[in-house]
Amino acid sequence: MSAPTTRLLGLLALWLILLVVAAIALPDFFRASTVTSVLQFSTILALVTLGQSLVVLSGGGGIDLSVGGVVSICGLAMAAALQTGWGAAAGLAIAILLGAALGLVNGVLVTRLRIVPLIATLGSGYVYAGLAIALTGGAPIGGVGSWLTGLGRGLIGLVPVHFAFLVLPAYALAVAALRFTPAGPWIYALGGNETAARLTGIPTGRVRTLLYGASGLFAGMAAIVATAWFGSARPNIGQNLELESLTAALLGGVAITGGSGGVAPPLAAVLFLISLKTGIQLANLNTIWQVGTIGLLLVVSVLADRFIPGGRRR
Amino acid sequence: MKDGAFGRLRASLSGAASIASGSSREASLVVACLVATTVFTLASPWFLTIENLATVAQASVDLLIVSLGMTIVLAVGGIDLTVGVTMAIASFFVGKALMIAVPAPLAAFLGPLVGLFLGAVTALTIVVGSVPPIVATLGLYGVFRATMYALLGGEWLSGLPNVFAPLVRPTVLGIPVVAFELAGLYALAWGVFRWTPLGVWWLAIGGNDEASQLAGVPVRRAKAIAYLASGLLAGISGAFYVAQYRNVEMTTGSTIALDAIVAAVLGGASVTGGRVSVLGTALGVILFRILQNGFVLIGVPSLWEQVVAGMLLLGVLAMENAARLRALAIGR
Repeated sequence: MSAPTTRLLGLLALWLILLVVAAIALPDFFRASTVTSVLQFSTILALVTLGQSLVVLSGGGGIDLSVGGVVSICGLAMAAALQTGWGAAAGLAIAILLGAALGLVNGVLVTRLRIVPLIATLGSGYVYAGLAIALTGGAPIGGVGSWLTGLGRGLIGLVPVHFAFLVLPAYALAVAALRFTPAGPWIYALGGNETAARLTGIPTGRVRTLLYGASGLFAGMAAIVATAWFGSARPNIGQNLELESLTAALLGGVAITGGSGGVAPPLAAVLFLISLKTGIQLANLNTIWQVGTIGLLLVVSVLADRFIPGGRRR
Repeated sequence: MKDGAFGRLRASLSGAASIASGSSREASLVVACLVATTVFTLASPWFLTIENLATVAQASVDLLIVSLGMTIVLAVGGIDLTVGVTMAIASFFVGKALMIAVPAPLAAFLGPLVGLFLGAVTALTIVVGSVPPIVATLGLYGVFRATMYALLGGEWLSGLPNVFAPLVRPTVLGIPVVAFELAGLYALAWGVFRWTPLGVWWLAIGGNDEASQLAGVPVRRAKAIAYLASGLLAGISGAFYVAQYRNVEMTTGSTIALDAIVAAVLGGASVTGGRVSVLGTALGVILFRILQNGFVLIGVPSLWEQVVAGMLLLGVLAMENAARLRALAIGR
């Protein structure tokens, strides 16, 4: 059995355990609306996780701790633009372009200024999240048009529009790109051995910079969905997304050292994490328990790779 | 660039020597503090008053202690994002003990004890579980936050009895005794880096993990001790926090991890390990707190603190690295 298949089966097992616990403890869990709600919440994390997975895959200590800040600030920029009368296309474009730009800043900090990724994105994340709070004084920006909330709340059957038209195509494209375009071998080579990758002629610096840019771009898309769904942009909407996306990526089998793993299992991990969060919410527990549980899962997922027989050793 | 393992080990050990010899870094930090003081004094009549300077000094106490632990962890090439919540949990136990009238010295002792325990959890995860420090401490940060919430039960401790005053307030030659306690901690850390094998091991590991292993450094043990020390110091700062503020809440320590990284990096610590300055960290804390205080006095809302801290961190590293890359280019 290939590693991704094992990983998907493992996540399925975890998810079934969760369902059994929910069946016993939470009668409200088994409703059609739970499916919709889980998918609603999943879109934001799924988009951010896709970027996070690509950055971690590329190795070199790759990590993006700024994703939460990027989501917050992009949502605010879009809402502010729409409020001052910008058109729909311009509003959407500003979230995506700003996200990509902030991501590229991370890329430059890492590849040009040679700041280790965790410190570079920790620092920039504080700047982005801090700006979101400082520029708004902590108040949300509301008043987005109904066309946008329609996008955020529309359903096709049980599936939210944004899950069907953003998450699925984005992941399909990413899987295809990793498999059928040079980007795939480049990213895996970069994650496996950067010096060797450079010697074979891969433009390592540029690839890495673009991956941070992509992570920012996906965070910008997540910001659109969050704003569209809630009808307003909150300055702290991205809080904890760095923890959650990193957990999803590693739980989904992306090696923290880079070079191994895929992007499809992290999507399964996102669905599992959001089901878990939804369960905690339905049990009326404080959201801090979501943070605690996900933190524990992050540590345990790496420990499991080390100590469970057949798991990855390195 | 590619010298042998021992060459690199020796190179990293020369970093240890730079701790003793002192460098222009410390001197430029002193100059920076003086410049900042002059600018803020010109900009605000309140800056250079006894009351305000006392405020700056007070706000530096917990950060000075936590930053010392962060300095040690950075020396081995690690990071510890749990320091803030470790400090919070330690301060909870100290505060709770005071509420049930445990004698003050015993209650104060709970701080370092709890810190040491949480440090042990971190050390085990990183050293025995070989989980990368950033992943381990980000995850444990979440776990400890939930623990803190469970302990506090959604409330907060306030109006704790003022029994720690004799441990920090009395003055010797007009200087509060807490200053001597802090100086003692820093002198101890400086001594460990300067004169003990442990200090040399820490810097060697941060310089090159594998080469140190080959050279016979007990890498795992030394790393574990670094995270234990970080937890211990965060726990000690928890006791000082209670002494100073006499309340404990969910937000206690929430920004101190980044502040400590900023202070240590300002002080000359390398974020990839192998190079730190104990004196530099102390000066880094003081400069950082002067800047924070001064910005508020000249009218920058405190909401901007996070932005300033992040920019400072990235700015210092960008300048350092730009200088180093230029030097490399000239050397070639």
